[in-house]
Amino acid sequence: MSAVERRANERRGTGPHGVTVFEMGSRLRQLEVIVCAGSGGVGKTTISAALAMAVAAAGDKRVLVLTVDPAKRLATALGMKGLGADPVEIPRSKLRSAGLPPRGHVVAATLDMKSAWDRLIERYAPDARTAERILRNRFYQQISDAFVGSQEYAAMDTLYELHQEGEYDCLIVDTPPSRNALDFLEAPNRLSDYVGARLLSWLAGPSGLGLRAMNFAAAPFLRLADRLLGGEVLAEVGDFVRQLQQLYGGVQRRARDVYRLLRSPAVGFVVVTSLDPAPFREAEFFATKLHEFTMPLRGIVVNRVLPDQLRDQGAVQAATVLEEDGGVATWLTHELGHKVAADTAHSVGAVYNTFHTLADRDARQLARLHRLGDVPVSRIPLFTDDDVSELQGLVRIAGLL
Amino acid sequence: MLDRLLRRRVIFVGGKGGTGKSTMAAALALLGARAGKHVLAVDVDAKGDLASALGSHPTGFEPRTVQPGVSSLRLQPEETFQEYLHIYFKVPRFARLTPLAHVFDFIATGVPGPRDMLVVGKIAYEQRRRQKNGRPLWDLIVVDSAASGHLVAHLTAAHNMLTLVRGGLIHGQVEWIDELVRDHGRSTVVICALPEEMAVVEAIELNKRLKEEAGIAVDACLLNRMVTAPVTAAQRRLAAEMSDDAHRAAVVERLGGDPEPLATALDLAANLHQTGRVRGGELAAGLQCPVVDVPLTVARPGLATTRHVADELAARMA
Repeated sequence: MSAVERRANERRGTGPHGVTVFEMGSRLRQLEVIVCAGSGGVGKTTISAALAMAVAAAGDKRVLVLTVDPAKRLATALGMKGLGADPVEIPRSKLRSAGLPPRGHVVAATLDMKSAWDRLIERYAPDARTAERILRNRFYQQISDAFVGSQEYAAMDTLYELHQEGEYDCLIVDTPPSRNALDFLEAPNRLSDYVGARLLSWLAGPSGLGLRAMNFAAAPFLRLADRLLGGEVLAEVGDFVRQLQQLYGGVQRRARDVYRLLRSPAVGFVVVTSLDPAPFREAEFFATKLHEFTMPLRGIVVNRVLPDQLRDQGAVQAATVLEEDGGVATWLTHELGHKVAADTAHSVGAVYNTFHTLADRDARQLARLHRLGDVPVSRIPLFTDDDVSELQGLVRIAGLL
Repeated sequence: MLDRLLRRRVIFVGGKGGTGKSTMAAALALLGARAGKHVLAVDVDAKGDLASALGSHPTGFEPRTVQPGVSSLRLQPEETFQEYLHIYFKVPRFARLTPLAHVFDFIATGVPGPRDMLVVGKIAYEQRRRQKNGRPLWDLIVVDSAASGHLVAHLTAAHNMLTLVRGGLIHGQVEWIDELVRDHGRSTVVICALPEEMAVVEAIELNKRLKEEAGIAVDACLLNRMVTAPVTAAQRRLAAEMSDDAHRAAVVERLGGDPEPLATALDLAANLHQTGRVRGGELAAGLQCPVVDVPLTVARPGLATTRHVADELAARMA
């Protein structure tokens, strides 16, 4: 067992505040919805899956972890191939043999964006014919997965639906890998604002006729658009937009419902970050925004923290002598009683100093954590061995949360 | 490998956020300039990291010389749109386009297609620009692309536009852009990755999507933050013996500090080295293109780091 592993194991079960096994799991187990937010690349999906296990370990709950990542990474993390849109339960025997005594059930699902959108159209269209026309529109087919915050919106919509159905006690959502974690919060409003906007009504006039009549200033746009795209395309866009507007009422009502749910006491947000400057800044920003939106931040997970031993000041002194003092190898040869090559001594010092610099930078970031708000913090050490992709690794992280 | 890469006309540097795309793109631009080429480095992200990796303050829409042989610009959709209208429709460049720009902005906010099209259109336009003597203005264009998903969107924008718009002026304009992007003799993608499982999965996924959706081949993958040197038995032995009770007191006195944590760093290095090799193998198998290790550095991004990375790439891609 490596030193890194040993320390990780030593720390298993005791979070930074010296609390018991699956601390975050027991603290959050009363929540009906947990939203894991943070920028891409910080291990958010892994943390979401581990959190689901922690909640299932803390109580007799049916926990669903919903990932919206099209790369289907959760499947990899759970050691399951081809995880589809249909929920799949992780066998309890598998959890047990991975070291997790499950009191509840862990179910995993990914969100199929395209069908989520199609469902949305079918639900909010005033009649089946309108729905059909939208679904058949070439523009819809091209853009439905790229439309204003559509991934985020579809995730929220599905989350709301699942919560209404009540089949699960706890829903854990791994938010989409947005350019900006904030998109997730603003998606419902942005979409309903967009669909309802007046400008869209102009464009939607019969083949742009509304635009022509109403706004003299826009005439150059139409002339250009005609020349650029050809009249047929413009008409088709107009048609699409007109149909889309009929969804407005439904989309707006749902946006209101989603916001109400996200502000309810049954919901908690967990911000996941690494200590790299960019994701950390993003996490800070997101925490501020949550406060602004009056949505509760219930925990922070700092992922991939380097071991504290790398910050030892005495060791830096020793490492620097090894790295820079040309006479040290001769001295070591004499002291240890066998030949110590100069470059061996140099490398041992250089390796420590490299990681020390990185660990020091991490520590400075950690010191800034309090700015994210007065909430419990879980520190997950950097796992250098590769088992976070296996169930056992997830269970280990669950214990550290 | 490097010679072949630098013979392309456009290199899109893509990959997951945090993999060091800007530094890699800047290093490739420096290498192009070292090979005597006129290089244009294009920043697609609004953050402006590419300019600072080239030792410059943020660039604007007009190309500006940032290093000998390297010019840089940052793409702005609004300005690109104005330029497009100016070139093709003789709309004065600084005309009051408020209503038009407003409409464009509105459409582009809802549907990213037009924005993507403008990004790749501008790059294609720069690639076609000629000097007075008929030689290309830029021998090589290096693009610091947006995150994985957006790169695919940029590179498929022309093709998607062609399927949507079958007539009108745009069709003809977009056709040659699509040709340029898909011509592997002229355009290629370099993927940046980290030796972490999810980053590897994403790189392989990006490669697959580029191939299937955009018909684009990837020339190389740059695997960043690699602990390239293995930890040797002699190093481990030295670290262990220094902390041994028999020598510890003398060592602490000679070195001025406790040597024990040094073993932790060696363990970490050995682990990262091993993980990196495994990840590198997975990447090579999944991508079917050369994977180049870029050593872990503690230096902050900037011109000095870029130069260092350029040297590493030159040595490792020879």
